[in-house]
Amino acid sequence: MVNQPGTLGTTGCFHCGLPVASGAHHHADLDGAQRSFCCPGCQSVCTAIFGAGLQGYYQRTPEGMLLAPPPEPPGDIEIYDFDEVQQEFVTCSGDLRDIHLLVEGIHCPACVWLIERGLQREPGVQSANVNLAAKRIHLRWDSKRNKLSSLIRALARIGYAAVPYDPENAEGVIKKANRSMLFRLFFAGFAMMNLIWISIALYSGANKGEFREFFHWMGFALATPTLLYAGYPFYRGAIGGLRAWRLTMDLPIAIGLSVTYAYSTYITVTANKIGEVYFDTVTNLIFVILIGRYLEGLFRHQALSATRRLMELQSRVATVIQDGKEQIVPTRGVKPGDRVLIKPGFKVPVDGIVLEGHSAIDESMLSGESAPVSKYAGAKVSAGTVNTNGALLVEVSSTLQNTTLSKIIRLVEEAQASKAPIQRTADTIVPWFVLVTLICATLTFFIWNTKSFELALMAATSVLIITCPCALGMATPMSIAVASGLGARYGILIKNGLVLETLSRVNHFVFDKTGTLTEGKMSVAHVCTTPLAARKDILRIAAAVERYSEHSAARAIIAEAEVHRLNFRDVTVREFHSVAGLGVQAEVNGEPVLLGSAEWLIRSRITLDEGLLAQARELEAQAMSCVHCALGNAHVAVFALADKLRDDARQLVNELRAAGIAMTLLSGDRKAVADAIALQLGGMEVIAEVLPQDKDRVIQRLQQGGKVVVMVGDGINDAPALVRADVGIALGSGTDVSLESADIVLMHNGLDKVRLATLLSRRTLRTIKQNIGLSFMYNAIMVPLAMMARINPLAAAITMPISSLVVIGNAARIRNLFKNEKP
Amino acid sequence: MDVIYTLIPGMTFLGLVFFAIMIWAVKQGQYEDMEGNANRILQDDDEDMMP
Repeated sequence: MVNQPGTLGTTGCFHCGLPVASGAHHHADLDGAQRSFCCPGCQSVCTAIFGAGLQGYYQRTPEGMLLAPPPEPPGDIEIYDFDEVQQEFVTCSGDLRDIHLLVEGIHCPACVWLIERGLQREPGVQSANVNLAAKRIHLRWDSKRNKLSSLIRALARIGYAAVPYDPENAEGVIKKANRSMLFRLFFAGFAMMNLIWISIALYSGANKGEFREFFHWMGFALATPTLLYAGYPFYRGAIGGLRAWRLTMDLPIAIGLSVTYAYSTYITVTANKIGEVYFDTVTNLIFVILIGRYLEGLFRHQALSATRRLMELQSRVATVIQDGKEQIVPTRGVKPGDRVLIKPGFKVPVDGIVLEGHSAIDESMLSGESAPVSKYAGAKVSAGTVNTNGALLVEVSSTLQNTTLSKIIRLVEEAQASKAPIQRTADTIVPWFVLVTLICATLTFFIWNTKSFELALMAATSVLIITCPCALGMATPMSIAVASGLGARYGILIKNGLVLETLSRVNHFVFDKTGTLTEGKMSVAHVCTTPLAARKDILRIAAAVERYSEHSAARAIIAEAEVHRLNFRDVTVREFHSVAGLGVQAEVNGEPVLLGSAEWLIRSRITLDEGLLAQARELEAQAMSCVHCALGNAHVAVFALADKLRDDARQLVNELRAAGIAMTLLSGDRKAVADAIALQLGGMEVIAEVLPQDKDRVIQRLQQGGKVVVMVGDGINDAPALVRADVGIALGSGTDVSLESADIVLMHNGLDKVRLATLLSRRTLRTIKQNIGLSFMYNAIMVPLAMMARINPLAAAITMPISSLVVIGNAARIRNLFKNEKP
Repeated sequence: MDVIYTLIPGMTFLGLVFFAIMIWAVKQGQYEDMEGNANRILQDDDEDMMP
């Protein structure tokens, strides 16, 4: 590699190539050269790689490939050493164990090399195989010689986060069903191709000569296994439907296939001299309809996985304090009233109340808020959240099924269960269509039976065959397949294809505020100072003090100081202390510094500046929270913090309003803040101060008022609402669970893609309608002809694929919608 | 033309054999990772084996 970034003088990080912030001090001396890094993560990973003699990794990285900084190493991996926990993932043969690990951080072939090399150097590892496409490792190791946790830690050292994973469980039944469908499809395709040659021979004259019977028997030999193996799903569907007293699309297909096959077999076996065989029609029909079914299967909603992901958020073990001793017990063994120690970096296993200690807790999986929340004695903590920096002693108030997390899981499940099955346009017509076809065929048979039995049987059969369910069966799945494929290319991931139909009828949008319409990060919007004070000095000192605080406001002030490139880290800060809900206090250069609410300053007997107070009041009316600052006992500044609107939020809201769609802003935040955001967006209904559990009830109320509702959100607390809504749209930056619960995921966080998705859905619905119309038109022409016994087999064989092709071609036209869009 | 009595069944049988091989390959996991092995072959990790 010629241009390796990260040598001194260039600005990229040696490991990942991201720009190195000036003033950052992450250097390492590697192989005699000084290298600089963007973050301590990259530095330690790179040092570990060189330490293990695996620096060949950097030569193997493809040119121009940007590595990402290493992911956070997974927490509490020691629990994977317990045999009970391993049982879920591992297959054993003696001491040798097999496991699949899901790995975060694999981006290129060089990673494969690094991981396999790195792991094989660990003691006890028999084999390590990386699957680059699926980002998985298949690992076999000797459990006597090494622990699983130390192998996972070895991976973390070279920059990969690995978690055990059960492929059977994760990929599940749906994928297996899809694969068996694919095998049937392959077989039908194989038989169809061979039968076409035989049919060509028959139609071009062999049906009269000496080979007539031979070709008939060949057709029989190919069509019989195809009907039994590839056609099995239709028979199962038809019989299942009949048992439930429903006429399904499978029924005419099954009857048509059976009658055609039986008639052809009859001609073959009796060596009849005039009749024709239709074995090619049998296989053709199976093949084409299976394609439709396969496409449909690809888009089936995976309802179970959202709940499974949620369950995985729960910690499996807890450290219980009994008689002054620490004891690790499984979470299900913890009772309310127990005392649990939560060490920094670990997940909170239970709901409880803090008794001792203070720490910042990352509650992003529950609330979607990115900044950790400070917890002191008396505060509540929730299961599934992550303790970031201090140890906490917690009295357990509820466990397992009674935690807030479990309640959210239950809400998701309920919402999934109660969601009405989407009635597809084709599905509503199908039973009637089937009934009419059966009646027509029966009528044809009895009318012609007065003349001749042979003719009657042929005419009735051709009615059943010609009533082409292929085009009808492919009208919906084909359009949805094309739309989903195109959507994915333009950053709209459609997980449940059928919602495209619902999305076109939507008349109410509900937006989550934090993280959806806004960026979800606090930032300093204004700094107001008294005329005498120097703005930059105040910001520098404030940032110096706030770097000891965990509050989200503190982060905003530090970020602002970094934007202005202020050198605040050299300022000496003494006697820092903070009071929750009020503010912080410290000493800089021998002068007291106070940062916090107005109340906080008054308590320290500081006279508030009238001018600043007036400005603060004005800013608060615009829903910005204000942090007051006092230097040397004088009130000198006010920092106004605001959550920034996303750039594309206003445009989207304006477009939706122009389209006459009602909108609601749904937020757990204070009413004033939500109101101000709504005002900035030109006004919309605001429902604020909503608890996470109540969000889906708001949606339900709207639905009961006859609205078709779209929910756009990203946090875990939005998950039940996303499922409840007719269409749930999640932003790509959201939590795993919200992504799983949504029907549509917008990649690269593009809020403007909401509009594109709506357009796509309208276009798709129009195409589906056109396709259904086309296939009906085909039937309207062909069925009467068949009933008059005017269809010859050749005409049937040609027109049937054409009707399918027309449907496919029409679906491909959806592409035109994206003509002016950038991928 | 009698040859077609053996040729056509023969070819069909051959087709079935290929179909069986394909199913076997899919079940073996030959198509699980289309990228990894393609790249693995290009990586020079035989330095220590060279004389």
